[in-house]
Amino acid sequence: MADKPRLKIPSEAKKGDIVEIKTLMPHVMESGQRKDKDGKVIPRKIINKFTCTFNGKPVFSADLEPAIAANPYLQFYVRVEESGTFKFAWTDDDGTVTTAEQSITVG
Amino acid sequence: MRRGVMGTGAALAALAAVAAWGLAAAAPGAQPSKAPIDVKGDAAARPWKRYPGWPTRDESKFNTLAKLSSPPAPKQPRPVPALTGDPAHGEKLVADRNRGGSCLACHVMGPAGGANLPGNVGPDLSEIGNAGLTDEQLFNFIYDARVYNPDTVMPPWGSHGLFSDQEIMDMVAFLKTLKAPAVFKTPLDDPDKRPVPVEKRDNLDPMENPALWAIDKAKALWKARGPTGFACATCHSNPEDSFKTWAATMPKWEPRLDKVLGVEEFVTRHARATTGFDWLMETDENRAMSVYLHNLANGAPIAVDTSSPQAQAAIARGKELANRKLGQLNFACTDCHGKAANRWIRGQWLGEPRGQYDHFPTWRTSLQAIWDIRQRFQWCQVNIRADELPPDAKEYGDLELYLASLNQGLKESVPGIRH
Repeated sequence: MADKPRLKIPSEAKKGDIVEIKTLMPHVMESGQRKDKDGKVIPRKIINKFTCTFNGKPVFSADLEPAIAANPYLQFYVRVEESGTFKFAWTDDDGTVTTAEQSITVG
Repeated sequence: MRRGVMGTGAALAALAAVAAWGLAAAAPGAQPSKAPIDVKGDAAARPWKRYPGWPTRDESKFNTLAKLSSPPAPKQPRPVPALTGDPAHGEKLVADRNRGGSCLACHVMGPAGGANLPGNVGPDLSEIGNAGLTDEQLFNFIYDARVYNPDTVMPPWGSHGLFSDQEIMDMVAFLKTLKAPAVFKTPLDDPDKRPVPVEKRDNLDPMENPALWAIDKAKALWKARGPTGFACATCHSNPEDSFKTWAATMPKWEPRLDKVLGVEEFVTRHARATTGFDWLMETDENRAMSVYLHNLANGAPIAVDTSSPQAQAAIARGKELANRKLGQLNFACTDCHGKAANRWIRGQWLGEPRGQYDHFPTWRTSLQAIWDIRQRFQWCQVNIRADELPPDAKEYGDLELYLASLNQGLKESVPGIRH
C-alpha cells in the first residue's frame, strides 16, 4: 500500500475567510539525474502536476520539476465564500493520478 | 504456517485461550508475561547481514558487545621512530575524515581544516607547540594515549592500526607548528559558543514526521489474518485502550528465553505464536508495529521493571557493556554519552543517556527512514568501527533495559524526529 496523501484544512470557516491549505504527497521524486552504484541512470519518476479545485472550480495548480525534494509539500491559501469540497490530484510521470478530497463548512 | 501453535482446525476453545492470553499481554508491571511467544529460533535474519549502504569494514579483530578481542594497551611509551615528519602532510591527516573522524572531531587545532566546526571533547591544541612536550610524548599521545592516561577517551590511533608511524610523525611535526590561539571565522565555529541544538519540530504531526505514516500500515496489519486464521485484532480488539502503557513497560526480562525482550522482538515472537506471521526484526512490518505500539503509549511515563532480581542482574550486565571499549576506535557507550556528553564531536552534539530512549522508534530526517533502538545501537557500533550484533542479541536486551532504566519516568513520545 502506497502511503496516502496528507491534508490539513480547517473543517469550518466564515464566509469570505482566507483558509490555509496544507498538502503533502508521499513520493520518491526521483530526479532522473542520479546514478545507481553500477553507474546506470536511475529513471526519472516525479509528481509532475498538482491541482486543487473547490466545488469543481480550479483554485490552485502547480507544475513540479525534478529539483523538488521527496514527499512534496505544498501550502497555499484560498478565499472561501460557500461550503464545499476541495479536491486534490497529483499526477505521476507514469500517468497515475492520486486523488484526495476534504470538505469545509462555511457559515 | 511456520511456527504457529495452532492447527488450521483450531476450535473455539483455542480462540478462547488466545483471548485469555490477550488479557495477560496487556497487563503491565513486574509479573512475568503469560503472553504466548515463540521461543525457538532467532527473531532477526541469520546470518545477520549489515544494512545496505553501511560501511563494510572488517573489524573482527576488535571488541564487540559479545566478545573481547582488542589488543591490550601498551604499558610503556614507544621510543620515537627514526622518521622525519612532514608538517604539511600532517595538517591534511588531522582533518582526514576517512580515518575515523579526524582530530578536529574532538580538538580545536588553530587553523587546521579551516577551523570549520571543530569539536571540544578533547583539549584545544591550538597552542600545543608552546607546551614544551617532547617528540616522544606527542608521538605516544597519538599512538596510544593510554600509556599516559588509562581513562582517556582518545582512540589508540597507532596501536589499533588507524595511522602508520610515518603518518603519526607527520602529525607530530604539524602539532609543533601550532603556536597561536584559534581564530574562528564565525561564532558557530567555536564549539564553546555554539548553541546547543533544540528539536522544535512537532514529531506527532504527520506533515512533519513521515514515521507517523507507518501507523496506517500497522493498523492494517493489526486486522490482517495470519496463517493460523487469527489477527492481532482477534484478541486485542481495542488496542487504543489496552496498550495505553504497555510499550512504556518494555523492555522486560523474559524467563522463557533467558533474555530481555524489547517491543520489537516481542512482536516477532508473539506474532509467530499467535497469528503465524513472521515479522522479523528490522523489517517494515516489525518497525510499523513497534511505532504503533509505542505511539499508543505516548504520554505514559517509562516504567520498566528494575526491581526483580533478574531485571537487576540484566541492568548490571547492561551497565558493564555500556562501559566496554569497542571497536577500532576503542569507544565505550559511556565515553561519548558519559565522559564527553554535552560536548561537540565536530558538528554533532553528544547527548546524555537520559533523553536518548523515549522517542524510539524515531524518524531519521537525514536518512528518510525509521530506526528502532536496536538499529541505533548497531549504528553506534559500526560508526566506531566495531562489528554490530544481530538486533535480537541478548547483549542489546541488557543494554536496552539499562538505557530504559536511565530514562525511567520520561514520557513516551513516539515516533520521534531526529536529524
